[in-house]
Amino acid sequence: MAGHIPMQHGSKNTGKRTAEEPLWIRVLLIALALGFLLIFLVLPLIAIFIKAFEQGASVYFASITDPDALSAIKLTLIVVLLTVPLNAIFGVAAAWTVTKFDFKGKSLLITIIDLPFAISPVIAGLVFVLLFSAHGLFGEFLFEQDIKIIFAVPGIVLATLFVTFPFVARELIPLMQAQGSAEEEASLTLGAGGFKTFLLVTLPNIKWGLLYGVILCNARAVGEFGAVSVVSGHIRGLTNTMPLHIEILYNEYQFSASFAVASLMSILAIVTLVLKNFIEWKTSQHG
Amino acid sequence: MSIQIKEVSKTFGSFNALNDINIDIKTGELVALLGPSGSGKTSLLRIIAGLEEADNGVILFGEEDMTHIRTTERKVGFVFQHYALFKHMTVSDNVAYGLKVRPKKERPSKKEIEAKVNELLELVKLDAFADRYPSQLSGGQRQRVALARALAVEPKVLLLDEPFGALDAKVRKELRRWLRRLHDNFHITSIFVTHDQEEALDVADRIVVMNEGKIEQIGSPEEVYDHPNSPFVYDFLGNVNLFQGRLQNGKLLYGNVEIDAPGFESAENQQAVGYVRPHDVTIDREDTSNEAVQAKVVHVHAVGRSVHIELKREDTDQFLEAELTRERYRELELKVGEDVFVKPNQLRVFIPEDYSI
Repeated sequence: MAGHIPMQHGSKNTGKRTAEEPLWIRVLLIALALGFLLIFLVLPLIAIFIKAFEQGASVYFASITDPDALSAIKLTLIVVLLTVPLNAIFGVAAAWTVTKFDFKGKSLLITIIDLPFAISPVIAGLVFVLLFSAHGLFGEFLFEQDIKIIFAVPGIVLATLFVTFPFVARELIPLMQAQGSAEEEASLTLGAGGFKTFLLVTLPNIKWGLLYGVILCNARAVGEFGAVSVVSGHIRGLTNTMPLHIEILYNEYQFSASFAVASLMSILAIVTLVLKNFIEWKTSQHG
Repeated sequence: MSIQIKEVSKTFGSFNALNDINIDIKTGELVALLGPSGSGKTSLLRIIAGLEEADNGVILFGEEDMTHIRTTERKVGFVFQHYALFKHMTVSDNVAYGLKVRPKKERPSKKEIEAKVNELLELVKLDAFADRYPSQLSGGQRQRVALARALAVEPKVLLLDEPFGALDAKVRKELRRWLRRLHDNFHITSIFVTHDQEEALDVADRIVVMNEGKIEQIGSPEEVYDHPNSPFVYDFLGNVNLFQGRLQNGKLLYGNVEIDAPGFESAENQQAVGYVRPHDVTIDREDTSNEAVQAKVVHVHAVGRSVHIELKREDTDQFLEAELTRERYRELELKVGEDVFVKPNQLRVFIPEDYSI
């Protein structure tokens, strides 16, 4: 996962351009693009739903109401509810630090924020295993305190936190850099303290960017497989998230059940995309 | 509220932004900090506001030491070059902001805030725009909103950072006159930063000319314009002609001519430069004294109430500039290409060691 392109806040290209290329080239290019989209995006999506309903709606609903499936859904929701707010707070704090203050090692901090994008999620998972497993760095201490992190929910939350950390910060840093700190300074001279300034001036200015980052962070937190797979231990009904549950079902040749759960995640992905587009439209309105 | 700035210094890394700055500003004065970019004028203003901290030195408001008081508690009004209005708030919300964020005990009632906002919007002639957003206003209107917002908290000191810098020439002129009238009505101690000498000369009671983090001269507009105490001030405030020459027996020798240089009687055979403003230059058809140099008229610029003549010295090929009244210009009937005699009426001599442009 190599990061993403931050939301564009510039004006959109509104000028009408008359195509100078001959008609057949235009048709060919459009057909190519649409064909590509169809084969690689639309078809797989349809396939998921076809496969999910292959054995009828009753099997579909049985699959997603199966206790193991429900516990996987529940665990995924718990992970999302914990990681997304935490990363939203961390992300805002990091972006605030990077953009409103000057200090030594700033570029190093920005690099570190990007680290989770740069390294493979499997490695990210392994890092936590090395730190917190029975034979890991803190293993003995944790065993004495009777705290379980690896092969338990805390490990899954930690791994997801790590992998999704950059989304909010990465979204906000360019936005806040572009906005500068003049409005915050104006607020200070008018007698508002730091917290009031943040609440009344900074937050309204970054709210759409923040929401956008949160949505991306949310999508990744739901779908994260690699890092979570390493730390979870795949204990059914206990440490399986939705992606892990899908894999297990698939490996057990329960294709319909596997695709039924997958279809739930696809619906979430579509909702995310719609929201993302809405926010992009909204920010372009505000210029 | 008077302001005293004592021995203030500030460095950014290895860059010396301010060097031992001392200024006394009297209550109710309107002072301009004038200088080229990088002269430290904005840094000084930000230090006075508490937005930046000085490395050394003390800032006093009246008798009160403000050096370590936070911006929030300094009760200054600050107007930014690019307005810094709150984009997501309406004009009236912007103006009300400083009153609304006060702690409950000191906060005026809703009605009082509303009345105050209306009063200020009337003052800046924007009462019809109360419900607009900043993006729906022109530059001049935005800066007036910013001013109203700063005045809403009834600051003891008003600080303006290049307030008209981003506006076009006509609006700029209107707005600075308006600022002067506002100041005359309210007598609030004000400091404004500008790189525009005309603006400073037009508006300020006193001008602080700054260069490379140091104060070059402090004085009334007349003082700094008519009696600059350094070549830098001469050059920065208005146009100037340079006469390079040699000091001998209390006279400056340049080309084939010499002119009195009072104050340099003891200098012997020393390189020096004489400075003279274009309007202190006389042009004659004939040489009546020994103080004139011969020059050719290169260009005549006759727009406005005075006529600007560009000349080229015959002996050194240096360009000179003269400003004549229309009457004198008509009298002389100058044409491009003609030879004339140019004489400085008032020459200020500086020895090169102490000048840096």
